[in-house]
Amino acid sequence: MLVLQNMTIKHKLISIIMATCIVALLLAAIVLILWEWSTLRHTMARSLSTQAEMIADNCKASLTFNDPDDTKATLSALHVESSIIFGGVYNKKGELFAGYYRSDVGRKVQPSEIQKSGYTFGEGFLTVFKTIILDGEIIGTVCVRSDLRPMYAMLIRNIRIISVVLLLASLTAYAVSSKLQNIISAPILSLAESATRIGKGHFDHRVEVHSKDELGYLAQSFNNMAEDLQTTTTSIDNLNREILQRNQAEQKQAELLKKVESANKELTDFAYVVSHDLKAPLRGIKTLASWISTDYADKLDQNGKEQMNLLLSRVDRMHNLIDGILQYSRIGRVEEKKVQVNLNELVAEVVDMVAPPQNIAITVENELPVIEFERTRIMQVFQNLLSNAIKFMDKLEGHVRIGCVEEDGFWKFTVADNGPGIEEKYFEKIFEMFQTLAPRDDVESTGVGLTVAKKIVELYGGRIWLQSKVGEGSTFLFTLPKQETEVKDAQLQASIVG
Amino acid sequence: MIVLVPVLLVAPCVVQGADDNAAEREYQIKAAFIYNFIKFVDWPKEKVAESNEPAIIGIVGKDPFGNAFAPVKDKEDKDRKVLIKRFKPIEELKKSGEKDKSLLEREIDSLRKCHLLFICSSEEKSINEIINLVKDYSVLTIGDMQGFLESGGIINFITEEKKVRFEINVTAAKRAKLKIRSQLLRLAKRVVGDDGGKSNKDG
Repeated sequence: MLVLQNMTIKHKLISIIMATCIVALLLAAIVLILWEWSTLRHTMARSLSTQAEMIADNCKASLTFNDPDDTKATLSALHVESSIIFGGVYNKKGELFAGYYRSDVGRKVQPSEIQKSGYTFGEGFLTVFKTIILDGEIIGTVCVRSDLRPMYAMLIRNIRIISVVLLLASLTAYAVSSKLQNIISAPILSLAESATRIGKGHFDHRVEVHSKDELGYLAQSFNNMAEDLQTTTTSIDNLNREILQRNQAEQKQAELLKKVESANKELTDFAYVVSHDLKAPLRGIKTLASWISTDYADKLDQNGKEQMNLLLSRVDRMHNLIDGILQYSRIGRVEEKKVQVNLNELVAEVVDMVAPPQNIAITVENELPVIEFERTRIMQVFQNLLSNAIKFMDKLEGHVRIGCVEEDGFWKFTVADNGPGIEEKYFEKIFEMFQTLAPRDDVESTGVGLTVAKKIVELYGGRIWLQSKVGEGSTFLFTLPKQETEVKDAQLQASIVG
Repeated sequence: MIVLVPVLLVAPCVVQGADDNAAEREYQIKAAFIYNFIKFVDWPKEKVAESNEPAIIGIVGKDPFGNAFAPVKDKEDKDRKVLIKRFKPIEELKKSGEKDKSLLEREIDSLRKCHLLFICSSEEKSINEIINLVKDYSVLTIGDMQGFLESGGIINFITEEKKVRFEINVTAAKRAKLKIRSQLLRLAKRVVGDDGGKSNKDG
């Protein structure tokens, strides 16, 4: 069985077919031979019985009239059949009346006792007995005996013929099965080969579908699988490429980011350093100017004093500008810890700090939320906005209203004043560095306040813009994202209430 | 006047010594043969009216058989029934016939009705006469004397080497419209025919 298992499909099929054929043929041959054997025996027995009967018929008279010679003559006709070795007629007493013996045998072939009518195979002979009946009366018995050689000879001849036929049939079966096994094995082999090809990576390879049977179905399924495989591998390849590209892009981005960051840092550092370094000589200039103003006050005329004052004020302005730059540069460079900031408290503080003049009222419209933020930064924003509002107030009765609403996941803060207002064409410009609307001589302003506010707000993912009508006032609006600012809101609320 | 004679013969058994034993045996065999002849001879249809009518064996003359036909009686339970009829010697018959013509006629009638008729050697001189009497009546005439066949008898017993044999006259048989089977003819020591051909078994 194991041998069978490890053969190729082709050999398996041929072996199966051959085995089946040979078994069937052998079975048929055996049955045939057995049947022939049986038929042969019957035929021989019948033939011999016929001969016995003929003899019986022919020696009725000679037996009746006691003429053994005549019987002998009748019996002698048996010599024609060479296989008959003995023929005898017995009287009713069972004594041999007359006998025939084939030339080469002796008396010993006689049967030892007379039996009833019929035939027996035994002792290597076929023996037939037939009673001789005359007028309904048994007058004797005929016995004919033949050896079985011809029967055996015939049998052997038959076996030989059948063997030859068997052999030829087997050869034919082999030839035919060799050809026909292809029907099964060829598609299987092709399928196996295709599997190997695909296994080696040729995903576009397909099997030819020839038949509508299970193999055809298998081939079809195989092709579908290969199709899927191809699609999958292609998409995997694509994905890989995408991932690679993304990685590369990310890398580039990271690099760029790094570059930007480092550039930014450089710039910031630079700004810091420069402003710091600029401040030093500035301090010197101020000191010297101050000294000159004081020490040489009596040597200076009115013009001179004015000019010295102007000089000092210019120095102060420059100092402020540099401070502004420094402030700006600090944002994003120095990172504070985020804390829960109650804006109500903070705004109150800021209002204190900016110290509005009596004619300006700063009000908080509604409850301000508690946000998680860098305290200083948010303070700066409010501080800058409020100080701007105060600085540019042109009305006798000024009010600044601070409010807050929730919008789309953002806190939207408003700082609205009834100041001079700003022309629309300046809406963008004022957020730029060092931009002032009023000339610096009128209002002392560094021009960095809004820039700083913008930087802070945008750093946290918010927006800052303004609405204004000239002559009526301006409303500055900025948004801060809720998620970043509201993480522990509940806890803080609880602590406030508690 | 047909006298049905019972088959069991009540003839006196005459003891005459060893010779008589041999003679007895001889006639026993002959009796058997006569009976067996029936099986190998075909009578014409007119003679065999019905199949179960017994075959009549007539013996005319001085009966040498004694009770040799006794075994034949045993065979009666088979299909073939046999009747043995004895007739007085012809001369006697003729004499009694003079007195009673009808008796003679009856006897002759009975003679003619026989299927087989054994003519004893006592009737040697009257063979021709007897044979003439029955010649058209399909009677198988049997004898055991010399020249029986030449006189027109059909089967004649002869003894050869202490064995009972017989010879057959086929022409006589044909004349009597009897068909003798070849198996029986074969066994005849001598077959005689009118065509002059004498086929002798030993010749």
